[in-house]
Amino acid sequence: MTDREVRIGDERVIPAEGWRLELSDRARGIGQLTDGRIRVPVLVEGAGTDWAVTLRGRRVPVTVRSWRERILAEAETAAAEHSGPVEVKATLPGLVVAVAVAVGDEVAEGAALLTVEAMKMQNEVRAPRAGRVVHIAVAAGQAVATGASLVRLE
Amino acid sequence: MPPFDRLLIANRGEIAIRVIRACRELGISPVAVYSDADVDALHVRLADRSERIGPPAPGESYLSIEAIVDAAARSGAAAVHPGYGFLSENAAFARAVTGAGLVFVGPPAATLEALGDKLAARRIAAAAGVPIVPGTELAIEVGDTADLAAVGFPLLLKAAAGGGGRGMRRVESPEGVPDALAAARREALSAFGDGTIYAERVIATARHVEVQLLGDRHGGLALLGERDCSIQRRHQKLVEESPSPAVDPSTRAALLESARRVAASVDFHNAATVEFLLDADRNHYFLEMNTRLQVEHGVTEQVTGLDLVGWQIRVAAGERLPDGVLQPAFRGHAIEVRLYAEDPYAGFQPTAGRITAWRMPQGPGVRVDAGVEADTDLRPEYDPLLAKLMVHAEDRPAAIDRLRRALDETVIGGVQTDAGFLRWLVDDDAFRAGDYDTGLIADRWGHGPPLDGDDARLVAIAALAGRAAAQDLAAAASTPTDDASAWGRAARHEALRR
Repeated sequence: MTDREVRIGDERVIPAEGWRLELSDRARGIGQLTDGRIRVPVLVEGAGTDWAVTLRGRRVPVTVRSWRERILAEAETAAAEHSGPVEVKATLPGLVVAVAVAVGDEVAEGAALLTVEAMKMQNEVRAPRAGRVVHIAVAAGQAVATGASLVRLE
Repeated sequence: MPPFDRLLIANRGEIAIRVIRACRELGISPVAVYSDADVDALHVRLADRSERIGPPAPGESYLSIEAIVDAAARSGAAAVHPGYGFLSENAAFARAVTGAGLVFVGPPAATLEALGDKLAARRIAAAAGVPIVPGTELAIEVGDTADLAAVGFPLLLKAAAGGGGRGMRRVESPEGVPDALAAARREALSAFGDGTIYAERVIATARHVEVQLLGDRHGGLALLGERDCSIQRRHQKLVEESPSPAVDPSTRAALLESARRVAASVDFHNAATVEFLLDADRNHYFLEMNTRLQVEHGVTEQVTGLDLVGWQIRVAAGERLPDGVLQPAFRGHAIEVRLYAEDPYAGFQPTAGRITAWRMPQGPGVRVDAGVEADTDLRPEYDPLLAKLMVHAEDRPAAIDRLRRALDETVIGGVQTDAGFLRWLVDDDAFRAGDYDTGLIADRWGHGPPLDGDDARLVAIAALAGRAAAQDLAAAASTPTDDASAWGRAARHEALRR
């Protein structure tokens, strides 16, 4: 346990000292953190290196990994970065209502690519980085599932 | 004797369950409807019987007049309660229900029609001598810039058939009109099948305050106080309270009188809400009248002690409202917060997934109306409302303290929810002082504060200890189990790693 590091986003976080986790419902991850003086409700969910901790209503994604897992993950990220194209995927299931770009368009980081309606709301899907649109996998009126490829950028 | 033997609820989620509860208390047998996505939904299991109305898409199920009226006839129901949203304000639906010989639990169809057109509603209110938000009297077309200049910027483009913030766009200057008009029209067409748009001036530092009405079929009208619904994102309410911290007795009297006038100028019975904007000088302006039960009706139930849904059903059956309802005694302060599957750190975007852990608060003055439970898969087709948490206490400060306590007892796993925003809100100085307006989320929350350093270290120890505990669990298990829980998976995962 001690050789593991904890990251929230890109930042390494040193765990609070003197606190421990008590799980009252192991199956669901429901428990409390205590320093022996007070108890704070907390929810801990996850598997492997990917965890999510809900504290004061806020669900925080956390990476917990050993140095070996870290080196492995960093090698994978480096490999992905060198492979070039970026696949923009649907983060929610929904209905494509408009496509704002065409194949060949140069887009800036954060540019609106298309509009997807989910949960009765229209959401803009934006470019994760600058690039050129090389493929559009969907059309207006099409339903998409979570993880479906929408647009490929190069 | 029960008002009806059997009643069909043309809705889903928490509001269907709310109506089922009212039916149970009145001795009525409740009938649920479900789409293929809701075969195992909570509201289906709580009703006596249930009728399938079609595929998951709302247009083919919960919005299908034909499917629902058929289901009502098949089930032998004598009345139909529409809940809120879906077909609740649809005059054609109300007519189809009464045409099938059943009772529609809501105002008359002609009233739904008259007030459903928000432009017509503005004219009705103005004719009744009620102040309306300055704006256009007619629908706007592309190129109507002169009319809009007269309204003044910034302004709001709104859908005449609208509601729930859909088809609504804020425009800062004339240059923004074409894009905003196109977007509002597209959204209004897809949501309501009607792209008619009008404009209203934006009232600075406004509060959104509404008056609850309950009327019987004999002319009895109860004015059940106001609710403050100023805390909104995307023009949709997140928090409601009664009484409003911004309303003094003379403002309240003026609001109730305006609401009474609007109701008196149409053929009204059953439940409705008249919505107003209140400016910094406590002038009020009519916004619209919602001819249905509101999501936030429970706040009024808490301060009046009345069962609004029960009374909706009873007046639909012809009962008269007694004096205790017509002149209710108001007691204490109530606040409702809506628990949504939305990410408040990412502009309140809906989140999807499965609810894993689910524990709702209990104890004095706490009410939860929930539509989901643990292991519920959230459907993208439907509203992301998970539950409404309501608290009632002697006064506003006590209600806020109670709300904080209740939020700390609340556990929702699997998806990000707005609970982090709500937990922040109860400690926000402006909210605690009652000094807030419809801009609170944009002005004070934004995308939320960064994770506090002490909290980050607590999160870290929890995650570290959580992984270690999963590993211990794996070590203790000599053989893989078929435990389908996340922890079971985590344990097996750890077992494979050694």
